[in-house]
Amino acid sequence: MLRFKAAIFTLLLLLLFCLSAAAQTAEELSDTAALEEPVYEIPRLAQVTNFEAKDSPDDAGGEIELTWDLSVDDKKEDGLVSKYVVLRSQNPTSDFHIVGVANHRDSSYIDKNLKEGTDYYYKIVTFPKYQGEVRLTREEIDPLMEQYPELTELDIKDVSMLAEYDRDIMSVFDDNILGISRVAGPVKSRAQWFNSKDLDTLIIGLTICISVVIFIGMARGGRKLFLRRIGGLQAIENAIGRATEMGKSILFIPGIQDMDDVQTVAGITILGRIAKTIAEYDTKINMPVSRSIVMTTARETIKEAYLSAGRPDAYSDDMVHYITDEQFGYVAAVDGIMVREKPATCFYLGAFFAESLIMAETGNSIGAIQIAGTAMPAQLPFFVAACDYTLIGEELFAASAYLSGEPKQLGSLKGQDVGKFIAMVFIIIGAVFATLAALTGSEDILEITNMIKSWFSA
Amino acid sequence: MNFWKALLAIDRRWIFLFVFLALAVPMFLNVDFDLSISREVQGLYDALDKLQPNSKILMSFDYDPPSAPELQPMADAIMKYCLKKKLRIIIMGLWPQGPIQANMALNRAFLEEDINRDDYVYGVHYVNLGYQAGNEFVIQRMGSAFYEMFKRDYTGNRYEELPLMRGIKNFNDIDFSINFSAGYPGTVEWVQIAVDRFHVRLGAGNTAVQAPQVYPYYNSGQVVGLAGGMRGAAELEGVFARFDGGTVDYKDKGTKYMLSQTIAHAVVMFFIVVGNIAYFVIGRKDKLKASK
Amino acid sequence: MGSDLIGVWIAAFLTLGIMSFLYKDNPWYKFSEAIFVGLSAGYWFASLFWQSLHAKFWANWSPAVQSLFQGQFDYNLLYTGAGILGLMMLLRLIPPIGWISRWPLSVVVGGTAGLYLINYLVSNAVRQIGSTIQPVVTFPESIGWINSGGVIIGNVLVFAVLIVSLGFILFGRNTTIDLPTPTKLFFFLIALVACALGTFYSLSMPLNLTGLIIFMGVFCGLIYFFFSKEHTGFFGGAATVGTWFLMVTFGASFGYTVMSRMSLLIGRIDFLLVEWLKVVN
Repeated sequence: MLRFKAAIFTLLLLLLFCLSAAAQTAEELSDTAALEEPVYEIPRLAQVTNFEAKDSPDDAGGEIELTWDLSVDDKKEDGLVSKYVVLRSQNPTSDFHIVGVANHRDSSYIDKNLKEGTDYYYKIVTFPKYQGEVRLTREEIDPLMEQYPELTELDIKDVSMLAEYDRDIMSVFDDNILGISRVAGPVKSRAQWFNSKDLDTLIIGLTICISVVIFIGMARGGRKLFLRRIGGLQAIENAIGRATEMGKSILFIPGIQDMDDVQTVAGITILGRIAKTIAEYDTKINMPVSRSIVMTTARETIKEAYLSAGRPDAYSDDMVHYITDEQFGYVAAVDGIMVREKPATCFYLGAFFAESLIMAETGNSIGAIQIAGTAMPAQLPFFVAACDYTLIGEELFAASAYLSGEPKQLGSLKGQDVGKFIAMVFIIIGAVFATLAALTGSEDILEITNMIKSWFSA
Repeated sequence: MNFWKALLAIDRRWIFLFVFLALAVPMFLNVDFDLSISREVQGLYDALDKLQPNSKILMSFDYDPPSAPELQPMADAIMKYCLKKKLRIIIMGLWPQGPIQANMALNRAFLEEDINRDDYVYGVHYVNLGYQAGNEFVIQRMGSAFYEMFKRDYTGNRYEELPLMRGIKNFNDIDFSINFSAGYPGTVEWVQIAVDRFHVRLGAGNTAVQAPQVYPYYNSGQVVGLAGGMRGAAELEGVFARFDGGTVDYKDKGTKYMLSQTIAHAVVMFFIVVGNIAYFVIGRKDKLKASK
Repeated sequence: MGSDLIGVWIAAFLTLGIMSFLYKDNPWYKFSEAIFVGLSAGYWFASLFWQSLHAKFWANWSPAVQSLFQGQFDYNLLYTGAGILGLMMLLRLIPPIGWISRWPLSVVVGGTAGLYLINYLVSNAVRQIGSTIQPVVTFPESIGWINSGGVIIGNVLVFAVLIVSLGFILFGRNTTIDLPTPTKLFFFLIALVACALGTFYSLSMPLNLTGLIIFMGVFCGLIYFFFSKEHTGFFGGAATVGTWFLMVTFGASFGYTVMSRMSLLIGRIDFLLVEWLKVVN
């Protein structure tokens, strides 16, 4: 009996204690509420719906794509949402960390730099607009930022809000005032071997490459490939003739690049033809160069040309001489040669840089006939202004292919023509559709235009 | 010898003298220009304006002192704006002297009252990764990992010791990039590799020589904004001053020298017109003589 | 401060030395130029040594070799291959076996060609085709009064260019048709009427023809560089129009270059007047 009474007493005591404790807590709570009224009202936000996480397609691995439908609160005019905060974890229930932030009205996010093959889980937290004032100072925010570097993507205002709400940032997201989505996952990132977005580039690239190979094959097989007349070639003949008439020398500059530059190769190929004519007319050629390999190649080329013209005795190694690799040192020497020897004709065929105008100007001032050819877009204006005839860009390669008849050069040129043809056709078709779409305002035509455009964009 | 012939035979040193005077005399005048802002420069400003504070911006300084008169005013203005806006700045260079030019821009920006050097911690708010040899291959490798290319920064700190760089693996972690370019390697390479392969958003400051080559990239959206030559620099200073005036003095050498530039252009145009008139007048007379 | 002052004076001395070439070639210029050439060569040598040979090769290779001695394999040992290729490049200095330097050169050429093929195809061809696909005429919703003046002038110019270009394309050079004078006059009149109509049309309704100019420039430019067909008739005319566009481009480029060179001169004059003589603030 006594034991029973003691039990009831203890129970009552316990109940009393609990009650008082509860009362005290309530009092404390109401106290806090009275002391620190919330500085702003945090709305209870609706979570995002249809939240999905999947491996990012067409990537080199390490990326996961998140998509969702906007929170109802974000869809409203003057919505309440400021950001969507993305959280990630490697287990479905805990350890979620901020990995990034998407702006309101955004409904996708790509999480990057992930480990391949690892399972990840995601949550999206709908984050309200801040309506109070910034309370935290720089000194308070900086350590927070250092502790959670992910926060740098939030505005200062957002960070102060987060921090004011709860100093322990991570626990904020456990509170149900913010709209927290369901957990999506597990999802793994994988690398894809093939980027289907670049399929168009592959098709265009393959078309051009295969055409080049086919045309080279055709040229090798003895098929005659048609190339249009290149205007500059007649000018070259005339210029050599003029030098012969005047009894003066011809100056040939193959640019300042080495034999690994295709423009130098084209220049030397044309040199072969020019040298043959020179040998036939018995004119002098002077060729200062700035690369040792170019010197060797040019000597061989000229020697061969003299041989095929039947005048090997007239050839001498002195026709081609090395000056210096240094760009402006070379130009100074060439200028000196021009002023002293006053050649009747100057050829500039190859890759040129800032020296183009200096040389062409000097050549112009001594009254030489000048023929230039280069594929350096920045130098073309100077040659066009100062020379009598200029092979513009690809014309240099075309002239080289035309003169040499070499299958590789001919084939490449024809293959590129295929590329240009494709470009012209699609530009015409695309422009017609785009114009029709603009004039009629038809959605269908616009769709076709965009489809064509998408084949040619990233 | 008649007048026109004398004009064509004029000693070119006179022209040099005129151009020199046209450039030097206006320097003594202090004229404030309010230039119209081109679409390209506005695009560059808009792209910068949209960035949130603490966004990471990569600046590649691909030029050296010979091109500084055109590019340094751009770099100065953009540096001031980015610092004031509290963007995190990552500096690098594909030209050996680029990072030095970057430091000059930084020092100039810190002279502004509004941009207090003490507010910016090296390694946290800005970092200079220095020069890296390898031209476009540097950009290519940065696409997989910045660390591979910049194991140490300009002053020798290790990459992983820099708090700003800790969170940056490759272009994915960069919000915007700007390239100041005077040639090769420069904007063309950045567009071809960083933009078209790694989908970086790129703005460019170019020398006037290079600008025409870059315009097509603006038209196709491969660069979001473009400032070309000293005029571009002056426009940039103008656009920052107009929209972000405040206490920072953006209008600097770019704006100051537009008067010199303008008068020199007028002199050049005058000589071109007069020269052509003389050329045609004489040409006609010579033809008449020949026909007689 | 003292060293700064000396530096500025040296810089001014050399700047004036180089500029003196504008008067005529002289020893002062030659002296300045020689200093510049020597300095830049030395600078490049040091820079290449530290930034390429040391930073790219030695800093990667030597730790790898060290770790190999400790029994670990480091992938950076692959740099040995690069080192050997580099040495082969240097064999150019020994003429009898200089041909070996072509092997590393072929690696460089092959690698660069592969990289450039994609870069140029994507950035300079494919994406540019995409950006050329745009309406050739648009009707802007509203434009300011001053802007509309610009649009009108622009449109008149565009119409003029368009008509003359069309004439060229249809009855271009190298064609067998020799137009009699009345026909030429007729076309001239049509061009005039078109310009007048264009003006009238622009006045009543703003229209933007930028797309047309871009389209014609790209299309005719492509035709100029198309080598599989003789430039006669339509093709010849279009190619001629293509060369005009090229020439305008070159002109613009030339203009930009003038601006660039002026800026460089401004930079030097700025140095002389502001930093050296301190006569301008």
